[in-house]
Amino acid sequence: MASPLILRHVFWGLSTVLEIVLAAILIRRKLYRTHPAFLTYILIAILQSCFVATSYYYFGTRSRVSYFVGWDTQVLVICARSFAVMEIAKNVLGKYVGIWALAGRILVFLGLSVLAYSIFSSRSRWLLITLNADRAVELCIATLIVAILVFVRYYRVPMNHLERMLAIGFCLYSCFFVINDSIYESWRRPFADLWNYLDILAFTATLLLWINAARTAEAPRTSASPVALPPELYADLSRKLNSRLLVLNNRLNHFFRSEDSRP
Amino acid sequence: MSIPVILFIVFAIVLVFLLAWAVRPPKRVLLSVDDVLNALSEKRHYARLPQILQCLRQDDTDFLYARGQDQLATRLRRDRKRIALRYLDHLQDEYQLLLEASRILAKVAPEVSPMAEFDRFRLHVRFLLFCRYLRWRLRLGLQPWDTFGVLSDMEGDLTLGLEVAATRIGERAALASELPLFLKDRRSDPE
Repeated sequence: MASPLILRHVFWGLSTVLEIVLAAILIRRKLYRTHPAFLTYILIAILQSCFVATSYYYFGTRSRVSYFVGWDTQVLVICARSFAVMEIAKNVLGKYVGIWALAGRILVFLGLSVLAYSIFSSRSRWLLITLNADRAVELCIATLIVAILVFVRYYRVPMNHLERMLAIGFCLYSCFFVINDSIYESWRRPFADLWNYLDILAFTATLLLWINAARTAEAPRTSASPVALPPELYADLSRKLNSRLLVLNNRLNHFFRSEDSRP
Repeated sequence: MSIPVILFIVFAIVLVFLLAWAVRPPKRVLLSVDDVLNALSEKRHYARLPQILQCLRQDDTDFLYARGQDQLATRLRRDRKRIALRYLDHLQDEYQLLLEASRILAKVAPEVSPMAEFDRFRLHVRFLLFCRYLRWRLRLGLQPWDTFGVLSDMEGDLTLGLEVAATRIGERAALASELPLFLKDRRSDPE
């Protein structure tokens, strides 16, 4: 059986190829118009793979330089990932001014709370500080995506297949990352080789999910749909709804009166 | 493995389950504003509550037992219980409809009050729990008086809340639609 280190290298190469394929699909289908942050994230991930591979080649996998190159570029990747998640939230909920204003406040509060909890409850070992920060951000991302999807479900907000798959991919990968990191924190030595391999495996699965969604996604329309309903429609809607509600209210009042006269 | 680490793992697993729940398609989807408005104009069921409550009363069938018509009384009770359960289903449907209307309002509203939304959500959860509780009470042959009253009140509260929200949106819309006219009048006014 191949060792986790070889498997890690194989899947690392495979994931980089998949990243390039995904970036090509996003560009060819002009999806960068609606998802510029997501494309940037994929491009940064490709660049990170190139930098780390170069560093491993020249300085070795266990060198200090490779360690810093790996973790420093990871900061960029995490930032790009966070922006991509914010982009999903904006694309899905941004059209609904009222809901977006409410969701924005709740998401910021939720994100900061999870981030604060994760940072304060992590061990303060210097060696694991980047890992813990990474885990905190991943947990924050997963929570935000679940919150966005709960909003979408509660308000019956339409969400296209691509956005849904991007959100699911981000969330599943982030959850897996948190679990993987937590296990690694406890059993570092026996788990070290497997940890990286499992991480790349999860990311490869996520990339496959995204590629499939991007491949079948509709190209964005050039004419942007109106962001909010025009005021005249508000007036019409409220008039209709008010008259219906008035009927309901009258019936309700009638019911209360009849309930009072109940024997 | 320390407790915070275990909590991280548990939290991540809970998030995966929540994700699975959140991406499920909703049970019932009303497609448009018109669908909701049309449905709102349909005949309401809660107006029949007094009759339902009356038929579930113990003393309504006591005279049959007193006359030795046990079999008939039992059948009558069973039938009435079944009707009450169906009534409850309709009541829940009506509530869902109102909730759907409030969601549509939230979608088109230029501003959504967090407290109002939270109250509605709380009310929704309470309504679902009461409904389930009431169903079990009916199935077990217990008297449902108080709970029925609470459910009707909740539906009434939601209706009133919707009216306030719709009025507010209407006022804003009226203001927005009047503004261009006002500006036009001012421009054409030869001062």
